[in-house]
Amino acid sequence: MTDPQPKAGETILRLNDIRKVYGDHVALGGVSLDVKRGEVVAIIGPSGSGKSTLLRCVNQLEVPDSGTLEVLGSNIDFAGRVSSADLLALRRKVGMVFQSFNLFPHMNVLRNVSFPQERVLGRSREEADKVSRDLLERVGLANKMENFPQKCSGGQQQRVAIARALALEPQIMLFDEPTSALDPELGLEVLAVMRRLADQGMTMVVVTHEIHFAAEVADRLIVMADGAIIEEGVPSELLAAPKTARAKQFLSAITDR
Amino acid sequence: MELLTDWVEWLPRLLSGLWVSVQVTVLALVIGIPIGFVLAFMSSARNAIVRWLTIIVVEVGRGMPALVMLQMVYFGLPEAGVVLDSFAATVIALGLTTSAYTSEIIRAGLRAVPEGELEAADALGLKRGDIVRFILIPQGFRIALPTLMGFAILILQVSSLAFTLGLPELLSQAYSIGASTFEYLEVLTLAGILYLVITVPGGWLVENFEKRLSKHLA
Amino acid sequence: MDHFLAILSAVPVTLLVTFAAFALGAVIALPLAGGRRSRFAVVRLLTKGVIDILRGVPPVVFVFILFFGVGSDLIRWEPLPAAIVGLGLISAGHLAEIYRGGLMAVHQGQFEASAALGLTSTTTFSRVIGPQAFRVAIPGMVTWLISLLKDSSIVSTIGVAEIMFVTSQGARSSGEGLLPFIIAGAVYIALGTPLAALSRWLEKKLSFGRRA
Ligand SMILES: Nc1ncnc2c1ncn2[C@@H]1O[C@H](COP(=O)(O)OP(=O)(O)OP(=O)(O)O)[C@@H](O)[C@H]1O
Ligand SMILES: [Mg+2]
Repeated sequence: MTDPQPKAGETILRLNDIRKVYGDHVALGGVSLDVKRGEVVAIIGPSGSGKSTLLRCVNQLEVPDSGTLEVLGSNIDFAGRVSSADLLALRRKVGMVFQSFNLFPHMNVLRNVSFPQERVLGRSREEADKVSRDLLERVGLANKMENFPQKCSGGQQQRVAIARALALEPQIMLFDEPTSALDPELGLEVLAVMRRLADQGMTMVVVTHEIHFAAEVADRLIVMADGAIIEEGVPSELLAAPKTARAKQFLSAITDR
Repeated sequence: MELLTDWVEWLPRLLSGLWVSVQVTVLALVIGIPIGFVLAFMSSARNAIVRWLTIIVVEVGRGMPALVMLQMVYFGLPEAGVVLDSFAATVIALGLTTSAYTSEIIRAGLRAVPEGELEAADALGLKRGDIVRFILIPQGFRIALPTLMGFAILILQVSSLAFTLGLPELLSQAYSIGASTFEYLEVLTLAGILYLVITVPGGWLVENFEKRLSKHLA
Repeated sequence: MDHFLAILSAVPVTLLVTFAAFALGAVIALPLAGGRRSRFAVVRLLTKGVIDILRGVPPVVFVFILFFGVGSDLIRWEPLPAAIVGLGLISAGHLAEIYRGGLMAVHQGQFEASAALGLTSTTTFSRVIGPQAFRVAIPGMVTWLISLLKDSSIVSTIGVAEIMFVTSQGARSSGEGLLPFIIAGAVYIALGTPLAALSRWLEKKLSFGRRA
């Protein structure tokens, strides 16, 4: 939906030794991860393994206790304080889609997508609306623009949420279980949109339980457990033959249902 | 039949009383709600001194019966050199009570804005001020609205206490008609009905609103 | 100091009016709440009307109707019983709605499970539904008790010698307009604060229990 990135291959997101502790519970025990431009990384793992926390650390909804983050060339070291200007700059480059959609219920679909553009990018209302209409059409919601979110199905709401994030022209998109709150059929609509986005070269980090999506779309699959990355590799290979016992156990648990 | 002719005879005076009741109610709300709004924000201020002072002021305002507030403003302020007529005293006293109560109502509304929406706004890179202005306040206010409307109805009822200050509102008109005709039961009942004409449909409206809102948020 | 002692001596009357009216209301509210769920539409409509009236008329107007209206025309009664009955009826209207909220919060499955187990409707209500509904209703009931404490000040206007009555008297006889009312306000707050704390505590405790 945004133009295919010219230079493929360079690392645009680098997490280095990210730690996050809640009380005495280690949610992330020093996680490092590199993501290249245009790459689609899928993350799976049991509940509580730190997947959401990892994504939330990337766009600073959660501030790590230590570690460094490099996004498109700018560095953040969590040993010191992060300035709010740096924070806003970071969030402009990184879009995020939540499990629970989180649309603004007092704005209609079009406003949901246009309003952030006006405030964050300083676009005029007409400019923003034009971008929004275009994006909403592309996610198949041309006829829903005037509706309020609660009048839309979950799948439609999630597609609006994706359009809302894309409208700010992020370079990296984070998805936290975008289809977990949806019936399988509605989930497919959302996955189709994500698949197209991947084809167009968007850099994506996707936490998901959709093994098929991970196998077919992702360039790399990461398995997390207990706040650490325990295994990573090419999805088809990893799924066929996990090396660690923990990954094997988790995969058989979710595929044997 | 006699009852009816009596009622028709009294109605103009009672209606003029009701008009006074409505006036003081509306003015109290117009003054009190904005103050309540400010108090709501101050009561979650970062500065602990501001926060605690606000909470104390609000709790005192809510803990004190409206009747005490009315009498204190009307009979007490002259001692501090401020002499008010009964109308102004009523508006101020009810306005203060309103601000204390509505600050809590609005605070609850702001707190009820789903965390996820605020996070989404954060993730979109919206500035703190924009989030407060465009997401938190409109959403919180919407959630608080039915309760605020319920409170407005309550304040109309409370305004009847202003008869103790000699304000010629609905109850004092009814009472003085009663005193001169000795038809207390009839005239007070009619006054009660006039209150009901506003409060009961108002209550239905609130219920309706609540239902719509809960569907909205579901 | 005189004001303070005089006002303090009126505290028992305020508490008597408050708790007696609350108790009366808590009992009368039961049939009202039941009527709201009646099988018969007429009964439902009628109880809804009664509740709306009880909640829609300003308390002081309602008490006046009972004391000056009904009182002078039909029966002679003292201010105190008139006050208790008046505030009691108003409480019944409010508490009925609070009970109803509690009943609505009980999951429909509880009725079905009770029926499936062959429990009589009396047992179902007294042992299954009632306790669950009550749990939900308790914080609202305490909140009402707190407003009732403050509302009880209005019965000073029909001559019940409670806090507000003594306060106004003191203000008039001493010519002081501020101090007596400040003391009265402080006393009301002192009486209400423990109740408010109780309500917050109950709310936390009960909602926590429900999540588990
Ligand atoms: N705000 C918080 N306060 C305390 N503990 C937290 C908080 N957020 C997360 N945790 C804990 O950190 C751990 C990792 O949580 P996280 O949400 O990242 O897991 P997850 O892998 O996304 O799980 P799920 O599949 O259930 O979404 C969990 O044990 C969780 O209980
Ligand atoms: Mg998660």
